[in-house]
Amino acid sequence: MRRTTSRSLPRTVTLSALVISATLALLATSTATATASTAQPLNGLFRVASGSYFRMIYPGGGKYFKNPYSADTNKTYTLIVAGTGGGLRTGVLQPAPTPAFGPHGNSLAGRIIRPADFAGIDFGLATKGTAPAISVSGGRLSGQVKGLTAEWNNLSFSQGGPVTGSYNALTHIYVLSWSSLISGGPFNGFTGSWHLTGTFVP
Amino acid sequence: MPFVFQMFTRAPQGADMIAGFRPYMTATRLSGYQVELREIGSAVKEGGTSVATALSGPPTAADLNRFATRFPDFVAFEAQWGGIYPDMSGMMGTIRDNLANYEAVAALPNFTLFPWFFVAPGAILLGVLALGLVRPVWWRASRPALVVLGLGLVLAPVVFQMFSRAPAGGRMMNAFKTIETRARVERIQGYFGDMAVGQGAVQLELVPALRRSGLSSVEISSRYPGITTFDDQWAHILNDMTPMIGAMSDNVTKYQAVAALPPFPLFPWFFVAPGLLVIGSATAAGGAGRARRVRDARRPDIPSSQLEGVK
Repeated sequence: MRRTTSRSLPRTVTLSALVISATLALLATSTATATASTAQPLNGLFRVASGSYFRMIYPGGGKYFKNPYSADTNKTYTLIVAGTGGGLRTGVLQPAPTPAFGPHGNSLAGRIIRPADFAGIDFGLATKGTAPAISVSGGRLSGQVKGLTAEWNNLSFSQGGPVTGSYNALTHIYVLSWSSLISGGPFNGFTGSWHLTGTFVP
Repeated sequence: MPFVFQMFTRAPQGADMIAGFRPYMTATRLSGYQVELREIGSAVKEGGTSVATALSGPPTAADLNRFATRFPDFVAFEAQWGGIYPDMSGMMGTIRDNLANYEAVAALPNFTLFPWFFVAPGAILLGVLALGLVRPVWWRASRPALVVLGLGLVLAPVVFQMFSRAPAGGRMMNAFKTIETRARVERIQGYFGDMAVGQGAVQLELVPALRRSGLSSVEISSRYPGITTFDDQWAHILNDMTPMIGAMSDNVTKYQAVAALPPFPLFPWFFVAPGLLVIGSATAAGGAGRARRVRDARRPDIPSSQLEGVK
């Protein structure tokens, strides 16, 4: 019995090892194929949900702008919620309305996010010029939001740039983040740091 | 000269700078900034005294500590304001003091044209000289044109009142030397962040605390006009000051380009000196030509027989 066991065990182990190796090889091949495949564009709506925020970093970095009107306990995080359009759309523009601002310079651009109070004046988001384009490849998101502008206090700041993130094809949950250096104007040298999360709706 | 001093790139930046500051360089607007700073100052003072007393009792050390613990953002801003106000107010005062200098510079011809003021007469001068060399006969006829050109150069600074306006521009450039720097602009941007936090503390912490103490909005307004005004005016202050900070920031490199030009007070002399030189040269050339003609006229004709002998 012991002998039999001692004889058959190596065979079982060998067979198991072969099966596992073959499976792993197959998995590796399929993953490699998926990675090497062309990135798939995600055209649709990136719904903005809880957990999305914006931060502003002082020139030189290392210090975040405190927004006393933020709903978060950490006032360096300005929480953002979905606007009338539900969030950020790829492939199309979501321009600011005309007029873009209400009294006191409050932004009326409310499609992407609901205008949020930043230091006493509401800011909104809009896209103009180049429509956002985001692709998925192997669960990773990449693309651009070149045409994104932050509208605040009768001013429009470019907040575009390349985006990165993750996407779960099963749950459609995404996380997108990007940073954008502000060039010119009162916030020249500041960096806007954006983090959007929610579900993608094709 | 325009190439040596890179006027073709720097002068247009000067024009942009003058235009960029135009909306803010009015007595009303500049006085308005001082009013806004005083409004914030009144709120800070009131918040740290009568409001603090109302919320934490008489100002003993223990009460002040309690106030600081309850309202840390306001107390931090109160401390920062001690540095912000003199700096901001001083800067606004400097700008205000240079309003007349700015207006003098803005009244000069557009800076973009400046290099052409040198290139155009220079090109005309070279053209006339070239013509004189190619066709010596034309030289005598062109001399009056050169004198007119020289006179034009001499008179241009007088016509444009450069002798008073250019030194005024020089004074403005000197005064802005400590203002139009990246470090100063970033400091002001930092103040803006501090003021935003301070205002937030007033609106979101002090005023609600006063309400909780049993005061109505009307009572808060009448008893504490400083913090009420600050609160009411904050959006206006942001609307007013933010673009000014933007203009300051956007003009740092333009200011530096203009500062790299020759000193403003020398500018009229850059016209007068070449103008006098052109007039002098044309006159001297005319005098020399006249003397030669007179000498030639006095010289007796030499018979051809004698010339043959010379040969």
